[in-house]
Amino acid sequence: MECVVQGIIETLHVEALEILLVGLCGAPKQRVRVHELCLKSGPNLVSSEVRLLCDLAKTTPSWTIRHVGGAMRGAGADQLSVLVRPIAESKASSTALRFFYGIGYKLDHEVLKTGFAFQFQNRGANLTVSVTSTNRMPRLHATDDAVPITPGIHLVEITAPAAPENYTEVASAIASFCEYLSPLLHLSKPGISTGIVPTAAEAAASLMSSGGGIKIL
Amino acid sequence: MPVKWLMHFQPNQGTTLTSQVMAEACAVAESFPGVSRDGRWRSSMTFYRAVPRDQSLPAPSDLPRDLIGISLHDLPNEYLFVMRSQRLILRAHSSVQTVMDKLQSYKGRFFINFEGLQYKWGDFKLRIGKCLYNPNEALRGIVMEVEYLPLSSIDKSQRVMEEFYEIWREAVASKLLAGQFINTEVNFVEYGLGDSYTPQHTAVLYGMCVVQVIASSNKNQ
Repeated sequence: MECVVQGIIETLHVEALEILLVGLCGAPKQRVRVHELCLKSGPNLVSSEVRLLCDLAKTTPSWTIRHVGGAMRGAGADQLSVLVRPIAESKASSTALRFFYGIGYKLDHEVLKTGFAFQFQNRGANLTVSVTSTNRMPRLHATDDAVPITPGIHLVEITAPAAPENYTEVASAIASFCEYLSPLLHLSKPGISTGIVPTAAEAAASLMSSGGGIKIL
Repeated sequence: MPVKWLMHFQPNQGTTLTSQVMAEACAVAESFPGVSRDGRWRSSMTFYRAVPRDQSLPAPSDLPRDLIGISLHDLPNEYLFVMRSQRLILRAHSSVQTVMDKLQSYKGRFFINFEGLQYKWGDFKLRIGKCLYNPNEALRGIVMEVEYLPLSSIDKSQRVMEEFYEIWREAVASKLLAGQFINTEVNFVEYGLGDSYTPQHTAVLYGMCVVQVIASSNKNQ
């Protein structure tokens, strides 16, 4: 299970966001370069979707198989400002793509996500804040030639693992952290877009001039 | 990782495999000078079948019918898939079983457990076990896994493993069992595997061995 929120920020303000995150997280910045392949079962198989993530940031690429379930529904879920959904993941060998092709899955689409991330703890929850550009590839698997799908816009995502017994606390930890980012961007449940924040330019300018002080709060 | 060989007991034609073979094989191992019993071992195998979108129809022929999943006794946090027809192996964290459950496109149709006794004999580890159909625990075969601890090169260990195999065959023959142990021969290169031994090699051995065990069991029933 995981809790997740997303938002967008103009690329020209990403550097300011990074300064803010360095100050808030107290954790080292991690480079993100993930080749994400979305596979769907062929017409003969029970309908299902699986994602393969190839982490290209390290010297030796590593693969993860990921299944994302449907969002939690109901009155409790509706009241939360974060989305809660079941997740199943597994590290796997580099034969993962051939394996899923072999059992009847087809590539639906692929993207390359590039940027950076911070992993840290807030109120006992393990948060990951990632700031990425989503890129498409002009030819199959051509990650070196990838170009941004939305030039000028970066996606900001905060995720945290959760369990049935603690997801409300985790959601609260994410929501409280989002407050720190509110001058630069608003984060909400995936699929509910809040657009670009009007104060972003001013907040970014302040961060760039102060070099990291959180005077804007 | 140390090199392993995997053998199965091939009963003589017309004879039925019984648990007595397991007891005799263990007695042979226990007769080796300096051998010590080293606990029990258990590996398990799942045979998967595709779940067609229209379940009133049989599974389409273009989907694999030989997908097996293996949980090895010495790697409890991992799970391996083997598709012999495509010479394909996937090694993953054991949580991949949860992912497959969520996808629901393949389900386990029947299950086999390999379990028995483990012995240490000098630089060798011997694991003799029953091959049991799950859940009714019907005996389908007897297997023996031989591990040579000092070497991880398949080529370099070939000679010492052959020598062990001859010692084992002669010792078993002296017990006048109605059959013999046959080594599982695999062309690892076809699976993209190299000379350095890995869990993927073990998965392929078990995938091949179980086919022979089941064929032998069906022939003698």
